Amino acid sequence: MKAIILAAGKGSHLRPFSDTRPQPMIGVAGRTILDNSLELLNCSGINDIFVVVGHKRDKLIDALREHDHDGLNIHYVEQKQNRGIGNAVMQVKSKISPGEYFLLLYGDILTADNIFSKIQQSFHAFKCPVASICLPPSNEQFGNVFLNAQMEITKIIEKPKSNNLGNYVLAGVFVLPASFFQLLESSGASMEKALKKMVAGDGLRASMWEDEWLDVVHPWEILTANKMIMDSWEESSIAKTATLEANVTLQGIVKIEADVLIKAGAVIEGPCSIGRGSYIGNNSLIRSYTSLGKNCEVGSGVELKNCVVMDDTQIGRLSFIGDSVLGENVDIGSGCMTVNRTIDWKPITVKNGKRISTGMSKLGAFIGDGVVVGAGNMIQPGTVVHSGEIIPACYSVTHK
Amino acid sequence: MCGISGVVGLKDVSQLLFEGIRNLEYRGYDSCGVALMNKTRLIIKKDIGGVEGFYRKHDVLQQKSNIGIAHTRWATHGKVTKGNTHPFTSRDGNFAVVHNGIISNYRPLRDQLKKEGYKFSSDTDTEVIAHLLEKFFKKSRNPEKALLKTLNLIEGTFALAFICTYLPGHIFCAKRESPLMLGIGDEIKFVGSDFNAFIDHTKNAVILDDGEYAILSRDSYVVKSILNEEEVTKPITKIEWDSETSKKGGYPHYMLKEIYEQPQTISNALDLEPSGLDDVVEMFEKAESSYFLGVGTTFYVAKYAQYIFSELAQRFIPPISSDEFLSLANVNKKTLVFAMSQSGETFDTLSALKFSQSKGAKTAAVVNVMGSSIARMVDKVILQGSGPEICVISTKAALSQMVVLTLLAMKLGLKKKVISKKAYQENLKSLKELPAIIQGVLNERSGFIHRIANKYCKNKNWLYLGRGIYYPIALESALKMKEVAYVHAEGMPAGFLKHGTLAMIDDDISSIVFVPPKEKKDLYQSTIHSIEEIRARSGFVLGIHFTEQGKNHDLFSEELILPNVPPLIAPLIQLVIGQLFAYFTATSLKRNIDKPRFLAKSVTVG
Repeated sequence: MKAIILAAGKGSHLRPFSDTRPQPMIGVAGRTILDNSLELLNCSGINDIFVVVGHKRDKLIDALREHDHDGLNIHYVEQKQNRGIGNAVMQVKSKISPGEYFLLLYGDILTADNIFSKIQQSFHAFKCPVASICLPPSNEQFGNVFLNAQMEITKIIEKPKSNNLGNYVLAGVFVLPASFFQLLESSGASMEKALKKMVAGDGLRASMWEDEWLDVVHPWEILTANKMIMDSWEESSIAKTATLEANVTLQGIVKIEADVLIKAGAVIEGPCSIGRGSYIGNNSLIRSYTSLGKNCEVGSGVELKNCVVMDDTQIGRLSFIGDSVLGENVDIGSGCMTVNRTIDWKPITVKNGKRISTGMSKLGAFIGDGVVVGAGNMIQPGTVVHSGEIIPACYSVTHK
Repeated sequence: MCGISGVVGLKDVSQLLFEGIRNLEYRGYDSCGVALMNKTRLIIKKDIGGVEGFYRKHDVLQQKSNIGIAHTRWATHGKVTKGNTHPFTSRDGNFAVVHNGIISNYRPLRDQLKKEGYKFSSDTDTEVIAHLLEKFFKKSRNPEKALLKTLNLIEGTFALAFICTYLPGHIFCAKRESPLMLGIGDEIKFVGSDFNAFIDHTKNAVILDDGEYAILSRDSYVVKSILNEEEVTKPITKIEWDSETSKKGGYPHYMLKEIYEQPQTISNALDLEPSGLDDVVEMFEKAESSYFLGVGTTFYVAKYAQYIFSELAQRFIPPISSDEFLSLANVNKKTLVFAMSQSGETFDTLSALKFSQSKGAKTAAVVNVMGSSIARMVDKVILQGSGPEICVISTKAALSQMVVLTLLAMKLGLKKKVISKKAYQENLKSLKELPAIIQGVLNERSGFIHRIANKYCKNKNWLYLGRGIYYPIALESALKMKEVAYVHAEGMPAGFLKHGTLAMIDDDISSIVFVPPKEKKDLYQSTIHSIEEIRARSGFVLGIHFTEQGKNHDLFSEELILPNVPPLIAPLIQLVIGQLFAYFTATSLKRNIDKPRFLAKSVTVG
């Protein structure tokens, strides 16, 4: 079976990180959401993959070229204009022959266990179109499905306004027939309408997904995703070429890649992952749920806690980064602090376009790619710093 | 629905056939049989009952054969008898056939064959296939041609397989509308209703399409079209998962599948032949004393029955746990003992029934498995028709039994003029709404129950409280929690609290209260009082109540609001919530849902 991954959307809720990359290129637990999906697809027996690219496509294509995805045939199809999900699916029409079934997957969906194996099992049991469904933390953002006892979806209610539905929702993973393209064409390329037509016509069965599932929509959900994947880890791995100096303490599950250098006195409390070629300075404290990308530099005496740091980022000495996400190529000066709670412990709001309450009482900052933060800055909880911004150092004593 | 399995290989295949039909038992397990071949002689073994017992009883594994076909049956029409069990042989004993599906024109075919001197040993449609094969083989001396002639004659649906003594190393099979696929191994080939039949031995499958037939031998196979006999090139499908998961369809666990099947099984219960129920009602009417008998879940079904018979028929019938029956019951010739059992093999219930019969008591039962020991031994049996229940935890069978007992109580009440004809009709109407309401609750409430279960899955102690008929609902819901989530849960009448139990209320104990609808004024009020008693001591209360009460965060720490429903079916809806709460708690705690520790599907030991 062929798989289609939708990776063309802008994902504007995920700013600042989506400004510079397609949504599935967000890194969690040491690799991107896309890498995670590709590996699960491969394990489920799918190796012909069509990725619909658009927004920041070069970043995705370059990254996949660099990666070694053994046994996967990856093809790219471009969606030239951002005209929605249905239109993205239509781009692949010519790649699917009549009568053929294909697996469709929304690129921002993350699961730890293999949702693709599960839906293929269901497909083989039903021999007809199938949609994965799951129970999300809240129902408002999704397509709520109604089922009968034969697991046929009888109705879909998109994004209900009132909060009185506790239904299973569409999980963004489908097995669909080639005839679905005709439904899309006759529905003005609206995914929602085409699915509704399918429900009313030939029928759509459900495959229940009972394990963890996440649609990464907002930047703080990157932390949730990171935790979800790390919680599924079962064993540590330390590359042969990693160097750990004297008195380095490792606790819990840690993944340390090739050419990492950890200086004397550092403490790593798992689950943590440290990407290829990264440097951890003396006496640093890397606490649980920290994911450090490739070629990062962490100065001496730094404390990291529950944070995702993407590739090539530097964190200067004696800084604290907690409950935060840092993009690529970020330069944090020495002695910076992401303050991660308010004095009254109230849930933290994030202003990203509009102001949204995250419901989390501990949350740090979201710092886009290429940001420079000068030494000595204290960053307010829930702050979003857009890509490329430069924040001057913060001195209390100057020579003027 | 039936299961077919066939193997041809180098070595002895008895064990593989055994595994094959055992893995297909979910498609039916009323009776089963195999056909093997010793040199050029067919060996046929068949019997009623499940696969394991059949193999043990008949020493089938001792038979040496490198080819064989097997069948496991779930009777939908026709009785569960040895005679009706597959495989069927032709008159001369040279063809053995297994079949899944329905031959719609078998009557005229059978009449014709009878005229030609063929004798029939069963009531089934399948037997005509065996005789037709023999008849056409005589003309052509070619089994493939005989198969094609036969297929051209029969109408209806089929997945069939046969072996014959004329070509001893070959299995012939064909498909129209019923499922059939081939398993392709080195020096071994399989045929099966689905890949569960062979997935432990090969992951390479060829899925037959309608109108195709295939001939398998140890080292080759060919698929052809029935229409033009031309060979069809079929792709090999690689199966990449284990056999256990594929049987569940879209569901993660059998338990959830069976919870979702409840609207259907309740409809089945409501469609039961009225005369069968009336006979049992008459038995209740005639008996001077009666007992309800059950153990585990079915004891709680029996307790529910006690309340519903009291309410609708004004009859006091004590429920007795089967294992305590000998100590408690006084039975004589004028006693009726009415048992509930899913499997019909429950040892304790069986013993209690035997004891009652030895004292001359009348016996009756509601049972799910046709042909089971209890179904055969009682004077009158109601087969509830809920289909195979695979999860060890009973859900759909128990709820359907409650519906059957509600029907019985209504009928008895009507007969004794306790309830009017009008009230009877209204109750019947309410019951008929039940499947759709449960479907709605499953659709629209699952997420809320999931969230609550996720949030409180670490709570170590639960009190399950209810008053009146909600008390057995509390008991059964608590048992689900204990069985599947291994969490301490205690069912109790809410009125018990103030007689001592309140002393336990603290941070470590949480309560679930099944609140009746407001129409049940007294019951509702007294339930609310009990909740207030817990809340006054800062206890945690999860309230399961109905919409008309509105949101009530002051009264409950957490609440689950159900749509308004007729009072008769309100407790049954709440039981579904109890089932789901236990299920989601167990998934949050990563329990082994379908096979919880220390529990067997039918407890056949004393």
